[in-house]
Parts: sequence; structure tokens; C-alpha cells
Amino acid sequence: MSVTRKKVLSWLPRPRFRIVALALFCVVILHIAATLAATRLAPATAYQRLADLLPANTMQVLPPIGPGKQPLPFMGPDARYAMCRFDTTKGPVSISANLPGAGWSLSLYSDKGTSLYTAVAQPGRRTQVSLVLSRKETDKFSGLTDEAAGRAIQRDRSLAVPAKRGIAVLRAPDQGAVYQAKNEAELKRSLCGLKNSVASAR
Amino acid sequence: MRFSLSFFLHRLYKRVAFAVNRAADYAMFAGFVLIAGIGSAWYMVDTGSALTTDRVGPWVAWHSAARPDADPYTRAHFARMGTLPMSSVVAQTFIARYDEGGSRLHSSCEYAVKGHDIAGSWWSLSVFDDDGRIIPNPAGRYAFTSDTIALRPNGSYAVTLARDARPGNWLPTGGAGRLALMLSIVDLGLSSSEKDREEEENPIPTIEQVDCR
Repeated sequence: MSVTRKKVLSWLPRPRFRIVALALFCVVILHIAATLAATRLAPATAYQRLADLLPANTMQVLPPIGPGKQPLPFMGPDARYAMCRFDTTKGPVSISANLPGAGWSLSLYSDKGTSLYTAVAQPGRRTQVSLVLSRKETDKFSGLTDEAAGRAIQRDRSLAVPAKRGIAVLRAPDQGAVYQAKNEAELKRSLCGLKNSVASAR
Repeated sequence: MRFSLSFFLHRLYKRVAFAVNRAADYAMFAGFVLIAGIGSAWYMVDTGSALTTDRVGPWVAWHSAARPDADPYTRAHFARMGTLPMSSVVAQTFIARYDEGGSRLHSSCEYAVKGHDIAGSWWSLSVFDDDGRIIPNPAGRYAFTSDTIALRPNGSYAVTLARDARPGNWLPTGGAGRLALMLSIVDLGLSSSEKDREEEENPIPTIEQVDCR
């Protein structure tokens, strides 16, 4: 080792293992805390942005997405949307929709933005989706069954969702001007509401 | 008397120097921890890494987008963006903010987006400003989908991003400044052999800068 190099090394502070280990430990803790806090400190989540626009447990067809009519960033004008802000605290919520062709989809998101369920239409095949959303603890028998009450038996798929609140998004792809009216009518046919009210509407 | 005063001043100086050194050490330690801890978290949430994103040229997709088992970085990324992406189980959403040359997409430039139709998938290509807002334009054009784009006979396409009208598939960029392009591909459940063929053809389009003003 040359004398100059020895001199340079002698000027540098000697790395102390404990300090370095403590610094790395603190960096890791702060990294984890900052990452977890980023979700909570988000300026406005998608649910918060949509909560004021959408009444609870009602499917609403949004106007065509365009400048100034865009409820969420990066919400594409490549589709028409119907949305429902579901809230299962007052009882199970029933959602039904038709997915008539390629590009149609129904997605359920929790209020934290996690996808709970997604159904995508297959090409050339009409898909009917019918769901009953309930919290696990409220998913219990309450009253007469449809059959006992003299109503038609509904073959809804029960879905125990790990969130009390969320957004259901029915997406109709932009297939050109010819299909706009047809797609809007299909969106309007979709239903969302407390299970009992939807059953009577059917 | 003179001796004791100089001795006192010397001791005071040494104590102050020691305190300043110690404070500087603590400040450096705290600064390093803050910058490395928060900076690395911000980078992982905002930009992502190979652990959380798929990168194809300038296109970036978060591979656990909207999935129940998504990692904390992906959850934080989309919570901060305030969007509801389609689940990556059934769809892939790519966003590009740069061209193939690594330059930021900007409305003062013209770009050619060239790709190939993705058989068996529904897809769309939309242009936004940097914050994800739709760019107003008199033509009312904001996106092309696999249903609305004009394809060549061999299934390829070219979309022109430009301020002024261009022939063919033109997406106006107005005076938006920085741009973001979004490519959404919805999987329609192809058989595996068909899917393999599509992957071989690389369905992700390229973004080439044509001209800048």
C-alpha cells in the first residue's frame, strides 16, 4: 500500500459496524412505514373521488367520458361505464348485469381499490352475471326463502366480500357510433341494490 | 487570572467543537436514513422495479394491479393515482411516458405508434396529459380500440399522435404538454396455442418520434 493511499485512508472515518447496521435497520423501518403510509396518505383514492358522485346501492350510467367529464384520472374514453357504490352494512347487495360481447366486463373493487371480483365477456357469448354481496358476519338466514315466499327462485351467486363498501364497475367497450345506443341500453338494464329491493324489482 | 481565562476559553471551545461534531454526526445519520428510507419507498411506489412492473420498451405495466394479493408498492401506486385499473388477472394496462429513444412524450412533437392487432383480445390505445386527464380537441378523438381502429390488410396499424390533423388513425394532442399513452389489453380467454402465437408476435406497439417543433 502506497504512503499516499495510507494517508487518504487515515483521513476517512473508520466505518463502525454498529452505526452502519443501525442506519440500515432505520432505513428499512422507514421504507416500510413510508410505503404503508403512502396508501393511507393518498390525496384522494378512487373510492373517495366517486363517493360523492354515486348514490349508495344504485347503478348509475355515467355520461360518455370526455374532457371535464372524467371522474377518475386515466379513465379512458374507450368505454362507457355504469357504476354502483355498494354498501353491505344495511344488508346483502344484489348486482346483476349482462355482458353481451367482447370487451365487456364487470369488476368489483373494495374502498381500498383492491379488485374483489372480475368477470369478462367471452367473444360471441352472452354472459349474465348475478351476484349477492354480503359481509361474512352478515351472511346469515333472515326471513323466508324466495321459494317459501312464493317468489321465483333466484340463482344468484353469493359472494362474501372482505369489504363493507366498494365500487362495482360495468364497462362497455367503445365499438363505434353504431353500437352506442345499444350499449347504453344494456348498461341501463344492469341492477344494483339491497337484495330485497332488487328481488322485488325483478 | 489571564491563564485561567484562556484555559476556560480553550475548554469551552473544545466542548462546543465536540457538541457541533456530535450534532453533525446525528444530522448526517438522520439525513441518510430519511433520504434512503423515504426516497427508496417513493421510487418503488412511483416508478416500480422489476419486482413489481413489466417493462416492454417504454411501456410499463404493474403486474399485480388491482389483485387481492397485490404487494404494498402496487397498492400504494394505484391508491395515489386514484384510479381503478382492471385486474391484471384478466387485463394488462400499460402506460408509456417516453418514446423509444427515451425522450419524454410531449405535445410539441409528432409520434408514430406502430403495432399489430392482438387477435383474441380486446384492446384500446388512449392518450392523456401527464396527470391522466383527457386532452380536449375539436375532433372529439381521445382513443382507438380494436373495434374502431383502421387496420391494414396484414393486421398492422399506425396511430399518429400530433397537434394538427393527420390522415389515418390520428390522435390529437393539442397543447397538453407532457403526454401519457395508455394501452389496455383485455384477455378474452384464448386457448394456449393461440396465445403462444400472439406472444411471439409481440403485440406491444412501438412509439417513434417523427418530428418536433
